[in-house]
Amino acid sequence: MNQNIPEKWKSLYDAVLEGNAAAATAAVDAAIEANESPQTLVDEYMIPAMDDVGEKFEQNEYFVPELLISARAMKAALTKIQPLLTASGSQPKGRVALGTVKGDLHDIGKNLVAAMLEGGGFEVIDLGVDVDPDKFIDTARASKVDIIAMSALLTTTMPSMKTTIEALKAAGVRDGLKIMIGGAPITQEFADEIGADAYGDNASTAVSIARSLVAS
Amino acid sequence: MPSKPAQIHLHPVAKTVAAAPGTPLADVLFPEGVEFPCGGRGRCRGCRVRVLAGTMEPGEAEQRLLSEKEIADGWRLACRHQVEGNVSLAIAQWESPILADNSTYAFERVEGLGVAVDIGTTTVVAQLVDLRNGSVLAVRAELNRQARHGSDLMSRIGASVTDAGGSALTGAIRRQVARMIGELMRAVVERDLPPVRGVVLVGNTAMHHLFGGLDAEPLSRYPFEPERSDALRWTASELRWTGLPEACPVTFLPCIGGFVGSDVLAGLLAVGFDHRTSPAAFLDLGTNGEIVAGNGDRILCASTAAGPAFEGARISMGMRAATGAITAVHQLNGKWECRVLGGGEARGICGSGLVSAVATGLDLGTILASGRLARGDTWMIQEPVSLHQCDVRELQLAKGAVAAGIELLLSALEIPCSEIETAFLAGAFGNYVSLESALRIGLFPFAGERVTPAGNTALLGAKIALHAPDPVALCNAFRKRITHVSLHADPDFQEAYVSAMRFPDPARVGA
Ligand code: B1M
Repeated sequence: MNQNIPEKWKSLYDAVLEGNAAAATAAVDAAIEANESPQTLVDEYMIPAMDDVGEKFEQNEYFVPELLISARAMKAALTKIQPLLTASGSQPKGRVALGTVKGDLHDIGKNLVAAMLEGGGFEVIDLGVDVDPDKFIDTARASKVDIIAMSALLTTTMPSMKTTIEALKAAGVRDGLKIMIGGAPITQEFADEIGADAYGDNASTAVSIARSLVAS
Repeated sequence: MPSKPAQIHLHPVAKTVAAAPGTPLADVLFPEGVEFPCGGRGRCRGCRVRVLAGTMEPGEAEQRLLSEKEIADGWRLACRHQVEGNVSLAIAQWESPILADNSTYAFERVEGLGVAVDIGTTTVVAQLVDLRNGSVLAVRAELNRQARHGSDLMSRIGASVTDAGGSALTGAIRRQVARMIGELMRAVVERDLPPVRGVVLVGNTAMHHLFGGLDAEPLSRYPFEPERSDALRWTASELRWTGLPEACPVTFLPCIGGFVGSDVLAGLLAVGFDHRTSPAAFLDLGTNGEIVAGNGDRILCASTAAGPAFEGARISMGMRAATGAITAVHQLNGKWECRVLGGGEARGICGSGLVSAVATGLDLGTILASGRLARGDTWMIQEPVSLHQCDVRELQLAKGAVAAGIELLLSALEIPCSEIETAFLAGAFGNYVSLESALRIGLFPFAGERVTPAGNTALLGAKIALHAPDPVALCNAFRKRITHVSLHADPDFQEAYVSAMRFPDPARVGA
């Protein structure tokens, strides 16, 4: 857990950690009123709060409902801050195109991963469910994407991940990208087997993995 | 030169099996009752066995799924090994009580005998019935032999589309049913019985496809539209089933839609859903939860994926309802007491025990409404069986999916749950789970006095169909009135699901 959150806007950190959207936006308003830098709010309060939410989730202290309400508080605060960040020319930590693979409609895990990645400072292009390999390719081509992230919950749709990776290769876009996969039936072994760059066990590690993928 | 067969000693069943080196251990152990929940792909811990003598080197899957202590104690995953040399293995013996049906039912007297078979993903139950008086002459119940290729239906479908899996699965179940019918016939001592005039089979859509030898690939991915959902018909001679009159019709009843099969259709017939005019619901909870709700004019059905928690799988110390399983945890003066099947030492906890333990934990305050264990990450319920935080989470995933499915189906039907007059609970879990505990954890929103455990309704419905002049016509007329709803297409699912993951406050239980 983060011990050293500066006292100044700790109410923002607390509001995100506790999933209180109203308190989070109020804290953002107050901070902006006081001329605090939006980047500082994101980097020193909000991202650490989501990191701690992720840690609590990993430790099983938080579960899906808690994670979702924290993510909502984060999103509410971010919506307020985003225009200011954009105006100040601030860059996201990376851009991730995320989707549930072809044939599969399970999206709750994927939505949590999206929320955590956004909470961790990434820009997320959510491609939805039943995503065709071509859609991943088109997105990789059209937007400067750092990571392609795929989720699957059915053992029968796991092969779609392999098909997608092969399609990305065939389209000649694989090299500039990192590929991360996850979902309940996925293992590291499977990720290695199909040539993915990383496997995320849960929505929280997905963020630390994404960070290391863009750093490498 | 074929090498000398190795001897595999099995404890505690005191049996020795010989097998050629290189044979997958799974092939040797499956016939002995060891199960392979993930289909033998090293993704679960279900097939663990303990090496008592001899060596089996632990591999990657064992490092991942077993603790250091377990590995040191000799635990291995059977699916990851081949026969090498002589070994002694301890295997857990499953003796799951499989639910058959002994209920009396209204019937039309028909000359002849009939065979009703309920092909469940997990179990297969067959009954030989005297159609002149509705009496059951013999019963056979076994685990589904296809389980060698995975315990849940998706693994089964996955196995059927790869390699020569499809024909292997079809062959396995057809042989099993044929053998069971043979045993039923031999079990009857009475002479001068009339011949068998029909065999009726029921099961979910995947079982329908796999028994019928149909291509199950369309069931493996969105939009999950079965190749065929109508009745499948053969004669005994076409299936090369001996012991039955050659022309004896063998009929797999039609599916309702999606994954919802003739087991549910038959179940609805069994509880008289086709004649009801007032609002009622029907639930069959297993790895998949089937939900039906109707108000007389309209009947909707859906299948919601629950996961294996209700069957005690994917729970740290989970097991089937066999000897040594904790089946209930009762509150006793601020403490608690466990009921262990067979009365001996506790070995694990089964699905109904898990629901009961969590319900009691909520009452005692050892589990909070959020599902968080109040003190630490484990709750020792009875040495050596403890409940872990992740087990409660697994139950929350399962019960939330059922509760959300019911909520969405009732709202599509525009019936508040307070208006449901009767909710029938079909299947083994529904029969064994304590109603009070199920209500306490918020598994369904109905008032307790309106919930009726209904037993193995699939089998009963199959028997009712055997009495009908034309079982298929009976089913087809009824199934036209039922609409299948796909929950995965419902945008409100996530919201409903996430709020249903919490446990209700005590004041609201059963309200
Ligand atoms: C890119 O990097 C990353 C990194 C990490 C990533 C990642 C990506 N993606 C996920 N993660 C990770 O982060 C998340 C948070 O930590 C985690 O995500 P998860 O998604 O694992 O976890 C979520 C937060 C919560 N978990 C879930 O949301 C899944 C829970 C269970 C109960 C489940 C649900 C809820 C549903 N289901 Co479905 N469902 C089951 C599930 C059984 C279970 N108990 O787990 C499962 C997955 N379903 C199954 C099945 C069979 C089906 N389901 C179906 C339908 C549904 C519902 C609609 C009812 C609903 C989905 C609603 C929705 N919009 O998503 C059907 C198919 C739908 C489809 N077209 O895909 C249907 C075919 C059943 C049917 N009868 O229709 C089973 C699959 C079995 C198998 N061997 O493949 C199943 C295991 C249940 C079972 N029967 O055993 C991590 O995995």
